[in-house]
Order: sequence, then C-alpha cells, then structure tokens
Amino acid sequence: MPPSLRLPSVLSSTPCGAHQLCRSTGQSSRPFSTTLRHDHRVTRARRGLFRWLSLQGENFRNPLSGSTNYLGAYDNRSGVLRRVQEAELRNTLERQNGEAKPEKTGEQSAEEKSKIPPEEPRDRVPFPQNKSFLSQAVLSEELREEIWSRVMKEGQSVREVSVTLRVEMSRVGAVVRLKEVEKEWKRIGKPLARPYAQAVMSMLPQTPFDPSKPDAHGSHESINDLPVHASTGQQIFHPTSESRHFTRLDAAKVFNKRLLPADDRIPHPELVIQHRERVIDGLTVEERKERAELRAAEAEEKRERIAAKQAAAEARVKKIDSGRWEFRFTPINADDAGKDGRGHRGIGWRYGVPLYDRSRGQIKIPKSVG
Amino acid sequence: MVVKIRLARFGRRKAPFYNIVVAQARTARNSKPIEVLGTYDPIPKPPADGEGKPFKDIRLDTARAKYWLGVGAQPSDPAWRLLSMAGLLIPKYRPSATPTPATAASIIPEASVSADKGVNAVV
Repeated sequence: MPPSLRLPSVLSSTPCGAHQLCRSTGQSSRPFSTTLRHDHRVTRARRGLFRWLSLQGENFRNPLSGSTNYLGAYDNRSGVLRRVQEAELRNTLERQNGEAKPEKTGEQSAEEKSKIPPEEPRDRVPFPQNKSFLSQAVLSEELREEIWSRVMKEGQSVREVSVTLRVEMSRVGAVVRLKEVEKEWKRIGKPLARPYAQAVMSMLPQTPFDPSKPDAHGSHESINDLPVHASTGQQIFHPTSESRHFTRLDAAKVFNKRLLPADDRIPHPELVIQHRERVIDGLTVEERKERAELRAAEAEEKRERIAAKQAAAEARVKKIDSGRWEFRFTPINADDAGKDGRGHRGIGWRYGVPLYDRSRGQIKIPKSVG
Repeated sequence: MVVKIRLARFGRRKAPFYNIVVAQARTARNSKPIEVLGTYDPIPKPPADGEGKPFKDIRLDTARAKYWLGVGAQPSDPAWRLLSMAGLLIPKYRPSATPTPATAASIIPEASVSADKGVNAVV
C-alpha cells in the first residue's frame, strides 16, 4: 500500500508524476524551517512508492469506466487487469493449438480484444491483503424498480417477489419503502442526488435485471438462510437412547422449549416443501399447484382469524379523546380475581402480597431481550 | 358508613398507579377494599404505531361499577371524572361550560331521565 501523498494536485495535473513529485516535495514550503529534510533521502519505501505509482497507480489516474477498479483486480507486477492478461494468454494458447482453424476466429479475437472480459468474484477484492473479503453486488436501478412495481402495482406479496427475484424479504421491504420515498420526492419536486447515485453505482458490482427477459434473472443472494438464534449458540451434551429417532424438532426443544425447529425458522419454508413434493414425492405439476393453493388458503384463513381476533379486541376498547391524551377504557371482569381477590388473572395492585422489587438481589434489568 | 368509589394510589415514587376501588369511606387509602373495580395508569404511553395522541390506560368493570353506583356508592372527584368518561355518570366539572341536563343528555341517553330525578348516577 503506498503512503499518503503530500501533493495530490501535482500528481493529477502532470503527465509524468513520479519525477515531478520527487522534485516538488523536496523543496520545503517553509524556507526558514530548521527540521532535517528527510524528503531528500531516497529510501526503499520511497522507491517502492514511485514504482507502484508508475505501474498500478497509472490505472487509477484515469479509472476504467463501468468497472469496480478494485486494487485486487490488477496484477502486481505488470499493473494490467488480471482478467485481460488471462484472456490474452488464452487467446495465444488457442492460436498455438489450432493455427489451421479458419479466419473466423481471427475476426472474433479482434472484436474481443477491444472488449474487456466481465468481472469475476476474484476481481471483487477491494483490499488485496484481505483475500476473503469479496465486495458483494448491490441491486441495480432496474431491479429495484421491478421489485417496486411487482409489489405495489401488481400486488404480489413480498414473499413471492423474494422467491422469484431471489432477493431477501427484508431487502424487498426496504426497497419498496425507499422507492416510495423517492417517488414521493419526485412528486413534490424535491431534487434527487442523481449524479451522486450514478457515480457510486458505477463503482459497485451490481445485480443486473433485464426487463425483456425477466425469467432469466439470476440470484442476487441466498434467500433461505437460517437466522442464528441466541438459544442455539450454546454447546449442549444431550444423551439420548440409540433407538430414539432424534430429529431437528427434538434438537430445537433441547435448545429451548419455546424454540421453533429450524425447518420453521427459515424465511421460506414453502420452498423446502415444494422441493420435497417435486423430488421425493414425485408429484405432478397439477397436484403440486393444488397443494400450494391449499396451503395458501390455509395461511390466509389463519391470518384472517388472527386479524379478526385483534379487531374484536380493539373494538372492545372505548377511546375517549380528552384533548391532550386519549383515555382507553378496556372492559374487564372484576370476578377474575377470584373469591379471595388473589387470583392470578385479577388485575390491579394486589393486596396482602409482598412486593419484592425493592429487596436485595432482585434483578430489575431484563435478562433477555426479544 | 359511606361506601365510596375512589382511587388507591400504588406504584412507586413518580410512577403512580391507581386501583379503582369500592371501599368504606373511613378506611385507609391502600387498605383492602370491598372490591377492585379496575385500574388507572395515569402515565401516558406513546401510541404503538407512532401516530395519534399518547394514551392513558384504564381497565374498568362497567357492570360492577354500575351496580355500586346503583346501591349508592359515592364516587370521589377523580373517580367521578373517570366514570363519567366511561359514560356511567354526568360529568361534574366541564372545562368549557357547566353541565346542563340537555348537554348531558346528548352524551348519555339515559342521563336525561336520571337528571330529572335529581340523581346523578345512571344505573
């Protein structure tokens, strides 16, 4: 990594950066300074810097448009894009192997020479020292627009859009919300930072979307990852009998009695069911469709039942607006407290029961959150 | 002895919480009452969805409150305020104007009948 430069303006303005920089930094801007001029000394690091500037550094003075231009994409020795180097090598090998082939290949190679091969995951290393850090693709403008239109115009569910476009559900939700904000800003005439967005997007890897071929859309990310639950972080030695059929269902119960099994905690359990029906059960398309509809209907019924229950509970609450506050009267049954008034379903402060909240050793802060 | 409907202050310092109780008038405030009709939390809670006004939560057994009013229990002023908001009594104090039987009747349909009798409780 080169050290930071003192005079970046010199670098950008002059064609031959290295020598000019040597001279200009050698002259101190403070003529009466008594400090030693270490700038004059030509150290190894300094030589390395200028070598880097003349090789790889040249690439970043006029960055390649339409490319991420990460440091890791360039070869260390020659300072040329690795993918370009490899393509050339491949071409020469091909030429050596099949020289007798028709001229058509010659024409093709001429075209290909002018074109830079597409980026590979290897070229997405912004920090060459950290090989395991790969810059992940972001959603392209077209794909975000498509997500918004599918959810808001076509009325598809977030789950559905997530599966078809292979984007996480939370991300789909975020895209829809932000798109709504953007459209609202456009409506009221608030200026958008378009040039900034374009500049940033041109420097990032993107997941493209072609509106003419919506079915050929690739995957943006893994959508069915199991979220890590705090209860599953512990290592448990749980002895069971050999004859016992110990499944994920049992494993979840061992971790936490209220923990759902992994099959139910994944974001898209329906994908697993569909796969099982297709591969293991070998059902026909019609049968699978029928079952999917049945499942959807069941889910809808359950959702409606819960919504109706909530609405009924809400309707029972009498709301009175007093100007500053809203008073909410919830009906209760005083008999719930039982004959002695100490029943656990009774409401209000209880009588004749000591409250230990001020005594020693009582933990008041929550032990678990969520 | 008079039976009153009143508030019993529980909770902590600067965190009041009231039981709405039916009790003998001369018993201590937090002594065991005849019956607990409900609770009143005077600390306003922010609305769940972030929209609208902050709310104060009141839980009340309306049927039992009606019964106690019917047999002559006398609400204290704060209890009167809450019960009138629940539609069981004519409001005693109005911020804008003094209550008239006509305005009370517009709020509570049965109030006009009871107002004629000179009894405030609507049973």
